Amino acid sequence: MRLEEKFEQLKLEGRKAFIAYVPYGFPDIKLTKEICLRLQDSGVDIIELGIPFSDPLADGPIIQRATSAALQKGANIEKCFISLSQMLKSLKIPVVLMTYYNPIYRYGLKKFFLKMKQLGVTAVTVVDLPLEESKEYIELARNFDIETVFFATPTTSKQRLVKIVRQSRGFLYYISVTGITGPRNLQYSPLIKYIKQIKSISKIPVCVGFGIHSRAQIKKICSFSDGVIVGSSIVRFIEDNYQKSNFLDRLQSYVKSLLLNNV
Amino acid sequence: MQLPDKNGYFGEFGGKFIPETLSVCLEELTASYHKIKRDRGFLKEFNYLLKNYAHRPTILYFAANLSRLLSMKIYFKREDLLHTGAHKINNSLGQALLAKYMGKKRVIAETGAGQHGVAVATASALLGLECNIYMGEEDIHRQSMNVLRMKMLGAEVIPVKTGSRTLKDACNEAFRDWVTNVRNTYYLLGSVVGPHPYPMLVRDFQSVIGKESRRQILKQESRLPDYLLACVGGGSNAIGLFYPFYQDKKVKFIGVEAAGFGLNSLHSASLVKGELGVFQGSRSFVLQDYFGQIQNAHSIAPGLDYPGVGPEHSFYKSVKRAEYVAVGDDQAVEGFKLLSETEGIIPALETSHAVAYLKPLSKKNKGSLVIVCLSGRGDKDLDIISKYKTEYGRSDKEIRGKK
Repeated sequence: MRLEEKFEQLKLEGRKAFIAYVPYGFPDIKLTKEICLRLQDSGVDIIELGIPFSDPLADGPIIQRATSAALQKGANIEKCFISLSQMLKSLKIPVVLMTYYNPIYRYGLKKFFLKMKQLGVTAVTVVDLPLEESKEYIELARNFDIETVFFATPTTSKQRLVKIVRQSRGFLYYISVTGITGPRNLQYSPLIKYIKQIKSISKIPVCVGFGIHSRAQIKKICSFSDGVIVGSSIVRFIEDNYQKSNFLDRLQSYVKSLLLNNV
Repeated sequence: MQLPDKNGYFGEFGGKFIPETLSVCLEELTASYHKIKRDRGFLKEFNYLLKNYAHRPTILYFAANLSRLLSMKIYFKREDLLHTGAHKINNSLGQALLAKYMGKKRVIAETGAGQHGVAVATASALLGLECNIYMGEEDIHRQSMNVLRMKMLGAEVIPVKTGSRTLKDACNEAFRDWVTNVRNTYYLLGSVVGPHPYPMLVRDFQSVIGKESRRQILKQESRLPDYLLACVGGGSNAIGLFYPFYQDKKVKFIGVEAAGFGLNSLHSASLVKGELGVFQGSRSFVLQDYFGQIQNAHSIAPGLDYPGVGPEHSFYKSVKRAEYVAVGDDQAVEGFKLLSETEGIIPALETSHAVAYLKPLSKKNKGSLVIVCLSGRGDKDLDIISKYKTEYGRSDKEIRGKK
């Protein structure tokens, strides 16, 4: 399913998107597959799957640790595609691939999109590829019908914002704070203002990520946006619990406790 | 041709590969830089500081003993004589002043050998800026003297415990700090790496090295040199020397990278052995594996211990304007001793890589006129040298005893 369809469906159901981020290969390759399926069972709407990169300069300590553990377990872009081809037999919710540019650049941009297309993964977002460097990326993505998720942040000017939403497909990823990933307290009033500004220039769904870790935050943010992306908190839960018994059940109940529709 | 172009590209190298949060800040930095570049007040203050504070111009020293030994005419551009002991102060004063003109109160920087950190701490003390320096834990141990200097100058030194705990990780942490505190903080990058406009800005502030050298050699020898020689980690002292000679096509440039334990082992030779990639903000040559993961570098010289290199060097390599070679740890230590013993000048271990290449260069170039950038002094490295064992496992003292 494409992001576009997913958001239409959510709109019809009057729901907001819960997007869960997990790094591929953490805590290991085999568990990643099971984790993704459990996230689906928990009621997560979209999975954002991170392809690990050695130097994740927009990420905080939690995701840094997970990424480097994944690399040590041998995670890489090719294995990620292999795992996806197996996972997608049972995974029906959309998957967005998230990574830094160098792994894709080395793999080959065209080959990357072609592979996505063949597998039926329809969306991608690249942390360190701002609009100015995206010309070829956008052209190729359009050719292969891949949805390109771009970022907007509190420092993004209105001029840039107009250009960014024009190239965004699926949803716009709004970064809640100037900063790196990791749980924190959020101030809502500037956030509301920014989201309003985006809504005034585009109809694209806007989801908010970075810092989100509690149900209260999620409830509040979903009242003025189209959904949330929760990353570090889930990754930390995995880190703290994967060696315990019934880990997957624990994960499922943790994620359920964050979801708005499971009261 | 203007380098870089308005998008920050040197040919196909460079650019701005950064998270969206930093986009506006880099635009602001570029605009501010273009403005102050023509601002009389700024230029007057900057030139005043270079002359009266940093102690420019530095001399171009004719090394008679070494020249006789190697049958070449060898000159050293003595950046080691600058205040704080390395070329890093040229860039730090320029950028710290820029930060002040931009109204930023806090400066952050990464450092490897600690020379850039010391230079930033110095400029910050002088200009009244709050200063935080990120330094890999491994380097903190290797260059403890510079850590003490930074602290004495009022800077906070923040140990970086991630990754290889060296320069590249210090750089990542500085970026993370900048993304977080971008509104009041200036990131004072120390080399010609990172996203546009840094490679241009640092080059411009360092090109005083080449401009002076060109004037001085014409005065002292009435001709241009045959070779320019400089060590390359990120590449700021080398670009500083090379760039003003760019149009002098007969002047050959040689950049010396660190071959560390050897080119088939751990090293830092991104231009000689690396492949094209996107790392820490720009497209350039980088040490990476098949899947695009950045690899750990190694060099005995902490300032060269970096898996990337400035995009302008990648451009010089691709258009064959410069040649890049690599010199290993052992040879660098030999270079260190050679200059100390023949000329009474103790060079930084980084610089020693360039010194070490004089020997192989001299074999086919008897009588050539060479300028070497003596980018820094070696006091900071005495500890490393005294502990260094040769590949045969004998200490320096043992070897000397047998002579």
